Amino acid sequence: MNVDELEKMENEGVERLPSLERRTFLRAGLAVTGLFMGGTVLSLTSAEKVLGAIGGQETVAKYPYSPHYSMVMRQNLCVDCQLCMEACVRTNHVPSYGYRTTILERYRKTGPSSQERIFTPVLCNQCNRPPCVRVCPTVATYKDKTTGIIMMDEKKCIGCKTCMAACPYNARYFNEETRAVDKCNFCYDTRLSKGLKDTACVEACPAGVRVFGDLSDPASEVYSLVHKPGTVVWVLRPETGALPNVFYMNA
Amino acid sequence: MKMALKLAAVLGVAIVAGGFVLDRAAQATAEPEKQPAEDKVLHAYGDTLILKKEPVGGMFSHKSHVIEYEFSCDTCHPDLFERKRGAAKASGDYNHPSMEEGMYCGACHDGDTAFDTVEEGNCISCHGSDMVEPETIVFVKPVKAVIFNHTEHTEMGFDCASCHDELFEMRVGAAEEKPEEFTMAALYDGKYCGACHNGDDAFASDTLCTTCHIGVQGFERIHGGEGKAAAEEH
Repeated sequence: MNVDELEKMENEGVERLPSLERRTFLRAGLAVTGLFMGGTVLSLTSAEKVLGAIGGQETVAKYPYSPHYSMVMRQNLCVDCQLCMEACVRTNHVPSYGYRTTILERYRKTGPSSQERIFTPVLCNQCNRPPCVRVCPTVATYKDKTTGIIMMDEKKCIGCKTCMAACPYNARYFNEETRAVDKCNFCYDTRLSKGLKDTACVEACPAGVRVFGDLSDPASEVYSLVHKPGTVVWVLRPETGALPNVFYMNA
Repeated sequence: MKMALKLAAVLGVAIVAGGFVLDRAAQATAEPEKQPAEDKVLHAYGDTLILKKEPVGGMFSHKSHVIEYEFSCDTCHPDLFERKRGAAKASGDYNHPSMEEGMYCGACHDGDTAFDTVEEGNCISCHGSDMVEPETIVFVKPVKAVIFNHTEHTEMGFDCASCHDELFEMRVGAAEEKPEEFTMAALYDGKYCGACHNGDDAFASDTLCTTCHIGVQGFERIHGGEGKAAAEEH
């Protein structure tokens, strides 16, 4: 890559790096510097804003899109009935080998011989700093300037799958029929642009796990859930700094 | 010399093979004589088991009546039972009062010709001999899938009447036949599991969802392989 081009790129900062990563980097840096300076350098780096380390979401003062589409998952209500997945497949013609949304299953110990099942619904997090968009060589995938939805322009996609590798949420698959990568777009083409107010998965959920809406509107349900006092709200893989717009909480 | 050897070898094989075939033929002709006559008759009728599920599960062994008691077809057909599957059930009076009046099974099962249909000790002869208490039940309606550990509940000291037939009909799949009624809302009203799972007697139905809801993944695990499911479910 051209050095001139590299220099023109915006500095991404280190605020959101988890402390482990900082230490690994520091250790490598110290080893290299130590070699040059004869091991006399002692360096300490302040770690004031390492929010990534505690798994918290960075505070965003303002939501940049209008409507700023977002989804809240009330995780403990999910029972893996997969009606959301079925509705998504029907609505968006998702082939059997791929998915736009899926449900993860894991177990958590609740005692020496007991455990609880936890289902986590996942989909594209429509990140504010989308790693997939950054790596796409043909701008086939882009962040919509109005809604903030990460869109796919199938015609521009060359199927290099770099976005699939870059996505921290494994939310993309290669569609053999269209020969392009496909992903969740909050049902933009199939529902939202036709005047419907929510996505197919939200409509199908019998347990009210998924709440969809405009995060820039303080009167919306998603806004009140994300900003509910005394509640733990988390996002998946905050350490990537992608600023996802899918939030998780327990009801 | 070589030719002679080859010839001898071929001849040898032919003799051995021929002997084998002859032996088999001899056996084949001997077999029908050895075979017991009863077996042949039994085979002709088939080992028909008729499992009645309505109004309650009951079992009628066609084989035992035809083979062991050597009834001819016209003993029961068509006077007692129409020769059509489900005909008795469709008639609407295929029940104990009718039998006690001498209809259907009651024609013979009157206490004289065969055991009667009234005495308590006889129930299990038709009901229950093949009705196995389920260990776990996996409901797939109205949502997929909910697990119920039957053994765990009976081991708590409940008897059958604690749940059957008031909360749950004692029949596999009965609750799922009315998926619009078998809902969480019904449970919150104290129906089905909600009779105990109300927060006082057992954990409330609107908490700990995934204790019972094993989901599609749990369902597939159970049906994908017993060993794997057993390892996961405790």
